[in-house]
Amino acid sequence: MFKLLKPNPVILHKTKPQVEQEIQACIGCNECLLACPALAEPITIDVLNRETINGPISAPVERFTQACYQCGACVSPCPVGLHRDAMMMWLKVRLLKDPNGT
Amino acid sequence: MIINAISKKKYPWLISLLATLGIIVLALATFLVYSRTSNNLFPDSLAGLAYGTAGLIFLVLATAGYTFSRRSRKRTVGALNASLHWHISFGIIALFLIFLHSFGHFEPVSGTYALFGLVALVISGVIGRMLDRLVPKLIAREVNIALTEQGDDRLESVTQTLQDITTYHKEQLHSFKSQPDLMVAEKDMQTAAAHLVSQDGTALPTSWDLAYISLAETPQEIERDAEHYRFVPDRKSPLSKPSALVPGLQEHMAELQTVQQALQRERFYRAIIRYWRVFHVCLTLLTIGLTLWHLEFAATLMFPTYFH
Repeated sequence: MFKLLKPNPVILHKTKPQVEQEIQACIGCNECLLACPALAEPITIDVLNRETINGPISAPVERFTQACYQCGACVSPCPVGLHRDAMMMWLKVRLLKDPNGT
Repeated sequence: MIINAISKKKYPWLISLLATLGIIVLALATFLVYSRTSNNLFPDSLAGLAYGTAGLIFLVLATAGYTFSRRSRKRTVGALNASLHWHISFGIIALFLIFLHSFGHFEPVSGTYALFGLVALVISGVIGRMLDRLVPKLIAREVNIALTEQGDDRLESVTQTLQDITTYHKEQLHSFKSQPDLMVAEKDMQTAAAHLVSQDGTALPTSWDLAYISLAETPQEIERDAEHYRFVPDRKSPLSKPSALVPGLQEHMAELQTVQQALQRERFYRAIIRYWRVFHVCLTLLTIGLTLWHLEFAATLMFPTYFH
């Protein structure tokens, strides 16, 4: 609980080059998806990574993106210290710009 | 259709919602039957105790189930989401059963305080879920403002443009100052006057020198066609505005301010999500405390010999 009270001094969103860098660094261990309370259906990490950067967004990934509420539960289990929440935010922005996700 | 929706996992909350409605309807039916057949409509009656115990079990399941599920090492994709839906479901069922347990008696005793705590806890949870749906959308909107079309940092991009504008105008101003170097020109004029000679080689008298005015352009004069030529604006002129001589500055400053405001709002929305969760956890601890106090009070009534 005390972890929740710790102030977060930085803005959590990342730019596209930063997101691309993080996706390249992802080792595909699936820990972030296992820790996610918003993910209801099975999505593989490589599909999520691929669709985060560019290309069309599939219906399950779109549903997951809409359901993600930026709780940050995915950040601490990552063994390489990546920010899946920031990547999900980038996907949210992509969907905002293009609701069809094409 | 419902089975199809469940199997496709489009509506993962559907099973828990149906279970919640089923248990609530069942509890309500037993309550109606009991209230028509018995006169003992108090929290310490047989039905009251049964509702209280069932409510307590659901309250424990709601609190402990989700907490253990989050800390569990053996997890599958989507298991935590299902656990979250059951957490909400059990919380609502617990509140409903505890309401039935009260039988409408809301005297200022420990049980009423525990019930009010539970009401606040469930309401905070429901509001929290609504915030979870709404706030990330607002954050995404602010992030969209803070990023360029290509996904770069807009703050950095605007700052760079502003820097370019400032550098350009600084260079312009520098060239304006250095071209007609007044000091050098003045010196040249003095030297020229001192060495003025007549056509046949004899120096001319000073008075005659001073009377000589050349029609040629002096270095102090500014060419009308020069790039750095500026009008001196009057008060009403749009040129009198501070940024009039630096085009684009005002627009970029406004854009910079917009991005900064968007970043501030993003931070605020993230704080809402974070601190609402803290508030919910605090209410949980308070409700647990009040419930334990009420259980101790109920135990003294039910088993007076053990507590005296």
